[in-house]
This record gives sequence, structure tokens and C-alpha cells, in this order.
Amino acid sequence: MRLPLPLLAATLVALPALAACTQNAASETTGSSGDGTVTVSSTDDACRLSSTEAPSGRLTFEVTNDGSQVTEFYLLDQDGKRIVGEVENIGPQLTRQLVVQAAPGTYTTACKPGMKGDGIRADFTVTDSGTKVETSADEQAMVEEAQEDYRAWVQQQSDLLVQRTRAFVEAYEAGDDRTAKALYPRARTPWERIETVAESFGDLDPRMDAREVDLEPGQEWTGWHRLEKDLWPARAEKYASLTQQQRKQYAEGLLANTVDLDKRIGGLTFTVDQIANGSRGLLEEVAKSKVSGEEEYWSRTDLYDFQANVDGARKALDVLTPLLRARDPQLLTTLQHRFDALQQLLDAQRSGDGFRSYDQLSQQQVHRLADAVNAVAEPLSRLTAAVIS
Amino acid sequence: MIGNYLIGLREGLEASLVVSILVAYLVRSDRRHLLPRIWSGVALAVAISLGFGALLTWGPSGLTFEAQEAIGGTLSIVAVGFVTWMIFWMARAARAMGGELRGRIDKAAEGARWSLVVVAVLAVGREGLETALFLWAATEAGTRDAAGAAATATWQPLLGAALGLATAVVLGYLIYRGAVKINLSRFFAWTGGFLIIVAAGVLSYGVHDLQEAGILPGLTTIAFDVSGAIPPSSWYATLLKGVFNFSPTTTVLEAAAWLLYVVPTMTLFVRGIRRRAVAPPVAPSAGHPGQSAQRTQPATAPAAR
Repeated sequence: MRLPLPLLAATLVALPALAACTQNAASETTGSSGDGTVTVSSTDDACRLSSTEAPSGRLTFEVTNDGSQVTEFYLLDQDGKRIVGEVENIGPQLTRQLVVQAAPGTYTTACKPGMKGDGIRADFTVTDSGTKVETSADEQAMVEEAQEDYRAWVQQQSDLLVQRTRAFVEAYEAGDDRTAKALYPRARTPWERIETVAESFGDLDPRMDAREVDLEPGQEWTGWHRLEKDLWPARAEKYASLTQQQRKQYAEGLLANTVDLDKRIGGLTFTVDQIANGSRGLLEEVAKSKVSGEEEYWSRTDLYDFQANVDGARKALDVLTPLLRARDPQLLTTLQHRFDALQQLLDAQRSGDGFRSYDQLSQQQVHRLADAVNAVAEPLSRLTAAVIS
Repeated sequence: MIGNYLIGLREGLEASLVVSILVAYLVRSDRRHLLPRIWSGVALAVAISLGFGALLTWGPSGLTFEAQEAIGGTLSIVAVGFVTWMIFWMARAARAMGGELRGRIDKAAEGARWSLVVVAVLAVGREGLETALFLWAATEAGTRDAAGAAATATWQPLLGAALGLATAVVLGYLIYRGAVKINLSRFFAWTGGFLIIVAAGVLSYGVHDLQEAGILPGLTTIAFDVSGAIPPSSWYATLLKGVFNFSPTTTVLEAAAWLLYVVPTMTLFVRGIRRRAVAPPVAPSAGHPGQSAQRTQPATAPAAR
């Protein structure tokens, strides 16, 4: 029986060669920037670190077992779940080194005398030294996680959209205008959250979300806003309500397109730059038509859409947070603060479980919202560059 | 001292078990001329481990944590593949010894001779890097003392680890002696079955390494945690770990990998043994499987001549 020996031999040789190597310290006395050594003394009941803070970059933990049991030392992420680095099997009286490339952030250190349990844990801070940190393996995992999180979320919103659209369409077709009016902005919320994705299907978007003023000559007006006008014709001049037949036709058309959209979204995956660009795109949507109150000209429910766009942009930032924390923690902080400020302004306009009508906003409130949107949009335009760098 | 002894023992046992069974097998099947291959495999693994360990300790670059775990994990899983192959190869060769032409066995051994080296390299080298790093750290502690700084006797860790390794070798030798003494068909049944359990442990340990490296998920999804009853630093935990790679805190994925390996492999193996024990035309005492296994050997041997 022959075995693929050359293959195996190659694997054995190539593995260590392919594996990411990290530079060993030239000597313990090097004082160059970002070259931190933290000594750790692990005893049977204590875990003493010479410092609980170090600059980012190459970081060495010199772990000495001053106890009588075999010990282990771990550097974990903030939640204490993911292992950033570890040394196992440190026998009594021995010193072993753990070398990591640490990005700025908060970590957890743990000594595990006796190698069991959660160990003796403490917080550890890595400050920004300005050195670029190469944590390729980590970042690859973050990229994949962000992609998967975002994909799952988009799918979830799409499912919600189908579900709510169906309820809305049923009420509308049945002539229950009161219910339909209440459902309309809520049914559109998932759509607006993933608007940049939904819009990427060039054929569906105009059929579903075209506004009357944007129609091309000869184009038939269908979709959400067609139904919107029929439910809120107050601002229209000489509007002739749709017949029962027409209601049915437009409503079922919208539902069919929504189901089609959901199917197509099922096959999508997103790269981090698409996620980041999508986030920026959603904020642009807000600035373009929500702040100005153009989107929901008839129903005046623009603030629901506003919130939904912001939700979508924020979700993208959330899934990219671990990656951004590693690449540009400053930008992350700025974005989080500005999103929070914008959210605060929006929260002030809530009414019941929804939002006030756009008509109820004062000129000054609109201005303040517009300013807050611009304050997010500016740093958000740097997000893509930061996460793909 | 005890702690370092136990580490040496545990790491040593993992290697010496497979090697001792491999050696016993070659001796039992009259292929002593292939023994040098095993020893050269062992020597190669030791040399590579010590070399890499020294390089990583004193050289210009060290391995990242992920790389170290990924190498350990991948090697473990590759080792499982080889040990599994070996188990079935042994079983097939055993059948051949009973009833078929000798030439065929030698052909198999011929084709597999390099595989024997590889099995030996993997058995020893898998944990070798980790052990080597440990030994070099112990050596460093010793030399630091020699430089005249500390008052404590820091040669103790090295001595402890060395004694542990020596104990492992002795245990390996005893297993070899025991294995050589038992009846041939029993030898294959027991060592084969035993190696399947060992390989399953190696597999689940490899999975754990890959989980630590973040390549596989579920590091914190624990199937069971008996580290209260079996403290990992105790001698019995050391033996369990050294022999079966049993971890007192086992993740769901590790447990699943263990079961998914053991159940089908063991089923196939036991079925193979049964068939061998029952299939030959002369099986007068088929009602007593325990005896028939022993009788098969002499009953079929003459038929070959």
C-alpha cells in the first residue's frame, strides 16, 4: 500500500515555513518604540503583572511560574472568550515567553495555576503607540465574521420585509385603510434598513420604490408610493382613488416583487468594503430625501425611514467594529459618538411606538437633524478606506 | 519538581505508546530488519523538534501563537490518519500471516516501509515542538543559575522533565514487553483497539488546538467539565492525558470529533477481527468467541503450507 508520502513530507516541511513568524526581541534591553516586555509572576493563588498597560505593537509577556503547580498564561480579548495568545505547560520555576502583536484595546489576562477553571483574571490595556499592528490571522477572522453577521442580518430584514408587506397588502386590499396606514411605515422599515442592498437590483427598485416625481416618461407608476398616495390623497389635487381592481393589482404586484427580492437577497454575500460603502450610502439616502421630507410626500412618515436608514448604517458599523478597532480606533470612537448624538435627536421625535409626522418638525429641528447627519457622514466616508487598508 | 516531572511523563507517554506498539508489531511479525526505520523516524523527530525549539527560543524569530497551535493541530490530525492506516494495515497483515503467502506481507511492508518512518516521526514529533520549547526553557533556567545569580536550584525543572520522559520510555518498554508476550491474534485485537482510542484522543486534541487558534469555532462551548474531580495537574490526569489525550474540560466539538472517529473506526475494526476469527472453514468452537480467536491461528496456519 502506497501512501502519498511526498505530499506528507511537503506538508511537514512547509507548515512551519508557511506559518506566520514573528520577530524575536533582539535583546531584552531594546528600548525601541512599541517593544514592550511585561513580566508576569504566576503563583498558586496570584497573577502579578509588572504593568497592566503596554503600548501597541510587539508585546512580550515573560511568564515565570513562582508557584508549585504547573501553570498557564492567557491573553484574551475583552470578553475573555477569544484567545489572543497563550503559553501552556509552564512548570514550576520555569520562565516562558508569550509574544503577541497587540492592537490597541482592552484585553483580559489570566494565569491558570493547576491548568483548570477560568484562571486568575485581570484587565489589561494596550495603548495606541502609532505602530501598525499586523494581526493578519485575527483580522481575517474578523473580516469573515463581519461578512457573515451582515449577510445574516440582511436576510433577517428581508424576511421581515416580506412578512410585514404581506400584512400591509392584505389590509390595503381589504379596504381597511386605518390598519394599512398604521402598517405602511412599519412595513417599509426593513426595506429602508437594507435600502442600499435592495436598490442594487436595478429592475426591482423602480418598480417597488419609485416616486411619482421621478418617473421617466412612459413609465408606469407602481410600488410602495403608488399605494401611499392612494391612502393619503389629502395633498393631491383632484385625485381619483384607485378602484378595487386596481388596488388588488398594485398590492399584489408589490408583494410579488418583495418575494422576488427576498429570493435574490438569499444568494448575496457582502465584502467588507460593500458593507462600509453601504453604510455610507444609507446616510446619503437620509441626507438626500429623508431630512428634506421628500421620500414620503403623501404620508409624511419620513422619520420612520430616517430611523431605518440610520439603523442600517449603524448595523454596518457594528459588524465592522472589531476590525475598525484594530485598524483605526480613533475613527471608531468618533463614529460611535456621532451616531449616538444623531440617535438622541431622533429619539426626541418619537411618539408612541412610532414617530411624529414630518410636518410637525420645526425648521430648526430639521436643520439640527441635517447637521447631525452631516456630522456622521463626514467620518463615515473614511470607513471604507479604514477597513480595507 | 513534581509538576515538571508530570509534564515530561505526559508528553513522553503520548509518543512512547505508539512507538512501542509499532516496535512490538515488527518484532512479532518477524521483521526486525525494519526496526532501524522506526528508530530513524524517532531520531529525526527528536532532532527536528529540538532544532526548531532552539531556533524559536534563541533564533531571530518566534512562531506566532496561532501558527504554533495550527501546526500542532494539523500535525495531530495528520497523525490520526497515519495511525488509523497503521491499525488496519496491521490487521490485514495479521490475516496474511495466518493464511496467505508470505511474499504478500513483505510486499506490503516494502511499500509501507517509509510510512513506518512517517508514523514514528509523527508519533514523536507531534508533541515534540511543545516539549522541546519546554526543555529549552528548563535548560535556560539551569544555565541562568550556573551564571551565579539565583540561590534556588534551577536544575530541578530540567531534572524533573528528564525523569518524566525517562519514566515514559520505561512505561513504553513495559507495554512493549507485555505486547510481545501475548498471543498473536489477541495482540492485534488489543493493540489495534487501544490505538483507535489513542488516535481518537489525538484527533480531539488536534481539534482543540485548532479551536484555540481560532480556526475552528466553539472554544467556549463545553460538553463537560470534570476538572474538579480530575485536577489536570494530578498524576492520574497526566496518565489519562498522556495515554488517551483525555481533557477534563472538553468542548462539544472535541467530543463530537472523538465519537465520530471512534464509533465507525471501532465498528469496522471489530467486524474485521470477528470475521477473521470466525470465517476460516475450521471453527468448531464458534459458540465461544473468546476461544475461537485463539484457535484460529494454529488452525489455519498449516493450511498455508
